[in-house]
Amino acid sequence: MTEGAEIAAPGLPADAENISIAGFNKFAGPFYRLCDDADIRRFAFVALDKHMNGSGTVHGGLLMTFADISMSRTSRLVSGAKSCSTVALNCDFVGPGRLGDVIEARVRATRQTRTLVFLSAELSAPGRIVMTASGLWKITP
Amino acid sequence: MTVPEGFSEIRLIDPFEIHVGPAYGAGDIPQRRYAFRVAAHHCNLRGVVHGGMLMTFADLALGQAVWDVTDKAPSVTLNMQTQFIAPAREGDLIEVRPELTRRTRSMVFMRGDFTVDGEIVMTAQSVWKLLGKD
Repeated sequence: MTEGAEIAAPGLPADAENISIAGFNKFAGPFYRLCDDADIRRFAFVALDKHMNGSGTVHGGLLMTFADISMSRTSRLVSGAKSCSTVALNCDFVGPGRLGDVIEARVRATRQTRTLVFLSAELSAPGRIVMTASGLWKITP
Repeated sequence: MTVPEGFSEIRLIDPFEIHVGPAYGAGDIPQRRYAFRVAAHHCNLRGVVHGGMLMTFADLALGQAVWDVTDKAPSVTLNMQTQFIAPAREGDLIEVRPELTRRTRSMVFMRGDFTVDGEIVMTAQSVWKLLGKD
C-alpha cells in the first residue's frame, strides 16, 4: 500500500487504492483502483445510501460518474498523458445495482492514436452486469 | 445558493440527486427548462465541471422531462449517449430544455442541448423504459 493511502472499504481488497482525493470524485465517491488483470484496468466502489435512487437501486448518474472516472483514469494510464478529456460516452443500463454491492469496472483500451483513446468498460456487481459503456477520450497537451 | 432568476427549486427524491443538488425548473410543459449552478464540489482538479456531474444532471433533467410527458409514469434509463462539447466552470448556470424525440407505448426517447449563456457545453440523448409496459 502506498504511503498516505486510506484503508480500503469492507468488501474491497486491502491494497485497493482510493483514487477520489478531491473535487467531485471525492464528493461522489469514494472510488478505488484495483490491481490490473493483464491489459484490463480494474476499479471499484461500494454502493452507499447517497448513491441510490428513490426506488432502491444505484442511481444512473452515479454509475456514469464511476464509468467516467474509471475510463478517464485508464485513458491516462494507457497513453501516459497527464490529462485526458472525455469527448463522448455511451452507456447501457443493463441491470440494477443494489445498496451494499461492490461494483467493479473492467476497462479495456480498444485503440489509441497520437491524440485519442477509445475505451470500453463493463460494470458488474457480483455475478451480474450492471452497465456497459464505450467512449472516446482526447489527450490534452 | 441563490435561485436563478425565473427558476424555482425542484423537489428531488433520489438520494444521489439530493446529494449533488439543488436543481431548478422554469416554465410550463412542454417548454419547461431545467438548470443547476456549478459549485466547487462539482468540479475536478482543473476547475472544470466533472463529466459525471453533467451526466447526473442530464439523467435528472431528462428524467424530469419524461415525468412531464408521461404524467409521472415510473420509468428507468436504458441508455444514455453524451457528447462533451466545451468545458463549464464554477459559477456557470447549466441549462437545458429537454426535447421529446419520440414516445412509444413502452419507451420514451428524449434529448437535450445543455448550455451556458446560450453556448452548448454538452449534448445528451437517452432512452427510457416505462415500467410495466412491454
